[in-house]
Amino acid sequence: MNAVLKKVNSVFMSLVAAVFLSPIVLMILTSFKPEAEVLNPASVVPKHWTLANYQYLLGWSEEAPFGRWLLNSFFIATSVTLLVVLFSSMAAFAITRLRVPGGNFVLGIIVASMMVPGQLFLVPLYLMLSRLHWLDTPAALIIPATAGGFGVFMLSQFMRAIPEAIEEAALIDGCTPMGLYLNVSLPLCAPALATLGIFTFVGSWNDFLGPLVFMDSVRNYTLPVGIALYQSSYYTEYGLTLATSVLATSPLVLVFMAFQRQIVESMSSTGLKD
Amino acid sequence: MTYTQRRSAAGLFFLAPYAFSFIAFILLPIIVSLCLSVMQFDMTAPHSVKFVGAHNYQEAWKDDYFWQALRATFGYVVLMVPGLIVTALGMALGLHGMARGRNTVRALLFLPGMLNVAVTGILWQWFYNGEFGLFNFVLKHLGLNAAPWLSEKSYAMPSIVIMSLWWSLGGTSIVLLAALQQIPKQIFEAALLDGATGPALLNRITLPLLRPVLLFVVVTNTIAGFQVFGQPFLLTRGGPELSTRGLVQYIYETAFNNYRLGYGAAMSWMLFAIVAVFALVQYSFLRRSTS
Amino acid sequence: MSIKASLGLLFLFALILGFGRTDFQCRSVGGHRSVTLNFWNGFTGPDGRIMLGLVRRFNEAHPDIQVSMQRMDWATYYNKLMVAAVDGRGPEVFVLQSSSLPRMRRAGFVSNVTDLYQGANAVPVSDFDDQVIDQVRYGSDYAGVPLDIWPFGLYCNADMLRQAGFVDSHGQVRAPKDREEFLKAARVMQHMGPDGHPDVWGYALTNWRMNYQSILPQFDGHYFSDDGKADLTNPGNIAALKFLQSLNEGQRLIPPPENGLGWVGYRQKKVAMVIDGIFMVGDLQRLEDFNYVGFPIPTLGNHPGTMAESHVLCVRSGLDSVQQAAARQFLRFLSDNSIDWAKAGQVPARKSVRNTPEFKAMPVQSAFAQQIPTMKYLPKSTIIFELNIELDLAVEKVIRGRATPLEALKVANEHVQAFLDRDKNERTGVDAL
Repeated sequence: MNAVLKKVNSVFMSLVAAVFLSPIVLMILTSFKPEAEVLNPASVVPKHWTLANYQYLLGWSEEAPFGRWLLNSFFIATSVTLLVVLFSSMAAFAITRLRVPGGNFVLGIIVASMMVPGQLFLVPLYLMLSRLHWLDTPAALIIPATAGGFGVFMLSQFMRAIPEAIEEAALIDGCTPMGLYLNVSLPLCAPALATLGIFTFVGSWNDFLGPLVFMDSVRNYTLPVGIALYQSSYYTEYGLTLATSVLATSPLVLVFMAFQRQIVESMSSTGLKD
Repeated sequence: MTYTQRRSAAGLFFLAPYAFSFIAFILLPIIVSLCLSVMQFDMTAPHSVKFVGAHNYQEAWKDDYFWQALRATFGYVVLMVPGLIVTALGMALGLHGMARGRNTVRALLFLPGMLNVAVTGILWQWFYNGEFGLFNFVLKHLGLNAAPWLSEKSYAMPSIVIMSLWWSLGGTSIVLLAALQQIPKQIFEAALLDGATGPALLNRITLPLLRPVLLFVVVTNTIAGFQVFGQPFLLTRGGPELSTRGLVQYIYETAFNNYRLGYGAAMSWMLFAIVAVFALVQYSFLRRSTS
Repeated sequence: MSIKASLGLLFLFALILGFGRTDFQCRSVGGHRSVTLNFWNGFTGPDGRIMLGLVRRFNEAHPDIQVSMQRMDWATYYNKLMVAAVDGRGPEVFVLQSSSLPRMRRAGFVSNVTDLYQGANAVPVSDFDDQVIDQVRYGSDYAGVPLDIWPFGLYCNADMLRQAGFVDSHGQVRAPKDREEFLKAARVMQHMGPDGHPDVWGYALTNWRMNYQSILPQFDGHYFSDDGKADLTNPGNIAALKFLQSLNEGQRLIPPPENGLGWVGYRQKKVAMVIDGIFMVGDLQRLEDFNYVGFPIPTLGNHPGTMAESHVLCVRSGLDSVQQAAARQFLRFLSDNSIDWAKAGQVPARKSVRNTPEFKAMPVQSAFAQQIPTMKYLPKSTIIFELNIELDLAVEKVIRGRATPLEALKVANEHVQAFLDRDKNERTGVDAL
């Protein structure tokens, strides 16, 4: 690409980013407005800045404080992410690189399973977790989450995109399957692994139905679910809802930044960075 | 043991942890729901549970609301999936071409996807509000006519799609970007030395190499599109006149508001059949067109 | 910042917030408890907070009983309640909306608490209005204790109403009394914007179907005939729907139809009057410079009246005698202390509680409560959810001008009759209603 085109591209992408960002800026600004002011589209910037919404959220402690929920969320989302990335990459590696017999058929089943609406699993899953005595423990949110087909499908497609020549070269060098997995496939898929990690983390963090249905004690809720208890079921307190969302999402943004750094580092180490 | 045998044995070892979890937490519930779909199973009438064969499927076939929900779902998929793939591919190529600031822009694009869908719904409901909302306020100030964003049948689904695009574009873009970044730079350099130019590079190198990931993105987004629930539910509750009530919302209401699990399961399997046909077509098409 | 550093930082953040508080645990009030009651409800937000306060007071007063409350939004709540019930591990005590009690009861999930209304320490039946206690009465049995009543009423912007001249002899703002005054108020308070489109509206619809249902009793409308058939096309139903239709079509008194729009406009001071439930009052209490006032719904039909529902306290079936006794103590406590609950934006179900000066000092609550003698509940039916969906659709079609009231209600009636037939065939429960 020539330099002018590059410049135009950068400007355009920045514009797009600004458009995407603006509702979020609006959300953050609105969370600092008093409730009487929130729905006024004429003034985007608060006339009276207030921390009342945040004070209300952070200052109210019942069975569980904010910190406990943050801890739960963090523990659950991290565990789910690690397990999903590990299990999915192993399975994808077995299917695409080790060419396990019937592997493509297995992948077909996995993809097909994604087409069944998950809402119907709720009842059987609840009964199963109840028999396992996992209800009201983090296991109920962690272990079943590793069964999703998204990660296996995604990593299979990414591994297929790796030129076979690279793998063959490694095999000629006498690489074992484990060596191939650890030293060739994983590093080459690092951007995909990090992307899957982000998706899994965000999905687990924002899961609403799971914690509500599988957890019985408020102490065991995750942050977005626990913090949502402050909102009325009947009406929307806009300032409060948006402040809630800012609080529940900001840890995610931190984690995303860390992951992103990881992508960049992993690429420079594999020599793929341009 | 031959090499192939050893490789297969290793393959089973690598597959085992996921397979175990899959069988327990996906396959088993799927079998349960398959059984439910041939039963009359109402959670609030535990004494009248019985086997009814294909009755639930026949009922769906004759149910106007089922077809209406299916139409709404198709309306969403037809607008959303192509729109999302094209814009996301554009964004990924744009991001890939950025010399500086790529990480910042990528983070900003993905930011909406990190909000949970409930907050997104509340925010956009206010944006779209016909009389007192933000968009029409801006339109009026620009001297334009206010739009009935969510209250006209012809506007409602496109409005839902715009919100969904804002919400999910970043995620799909970063998958495609990751795939672009995975293409070894040497391949491009070789092609450039051969005198290839922009469009040719895209057609001959980028898209073919992207093929497996593109297939993944198209198939998963089609599946997600057919299962759309949260976005219309939060913005319009399925209105106006049920024109945006998708199939999964109808299934959800049947199974959990009306407690008719059997009928809900049967409709889920009909949805499954439709999605499966689409996915198969896409699969064979994307395989053939690029090989 | 590396991934390790940022994760470490988060972890530290969590630790400080989590353990840096002295109020981490509030459950350890005096030693070992012999009975534990799980109490589930859909009270999130400010009302959940008040309910939690009541639970805490109960726990302090009863050292042998531990009540722990779990709350979630109503939609998820019913899902979870049902799933847990199928598994036999539901809560010992829970709250149901009166309209869903018939179905939950048929599921065999709700036990009778008839003995609570008998004996020396009874919750007196006479302390409830007839139609309220009727919601839990099945023959000679009682399936729960009504905690509150939520009538629908008229919320007004007091400043606008005063400007429009609705002031009584004491200089207080007063409500439009009847249909004529209501229409006049709606017209006078409408303000035309520079583009020829009103920028302030006198009246706006909130939830269309609920607006319709809340004026239905005034027109003598009903849902089922005496012999249990769907009867949505009765003259009262049509008259009420014609009235709503006329607001939009003939008179241009409401903004272009959009569901749920009215309340946002009311909060923004761009709508002067809306009809909604008492539970919305909590939203207004936080608005500092908003001068709101609540009234009974004006007589738009033949006589005063509105729709109401209740939250009902229920006990799960299959408890042992110790749990049953504890659950009854808890129910009685909540019912006796429901004045606290009124602060959450509810009208207590007990007459004696409503007669306290404390309740009378709550302006909107007591204004809406004036309608209790004339209010009507939804019928005790197991297909209320289906019925409401059909009504949603019928009312929407009429307000948008896509069908006449008779056409729309006819279609709804056919569907509802089909639901009734199916319900009869498919869902034979523990006992008939």
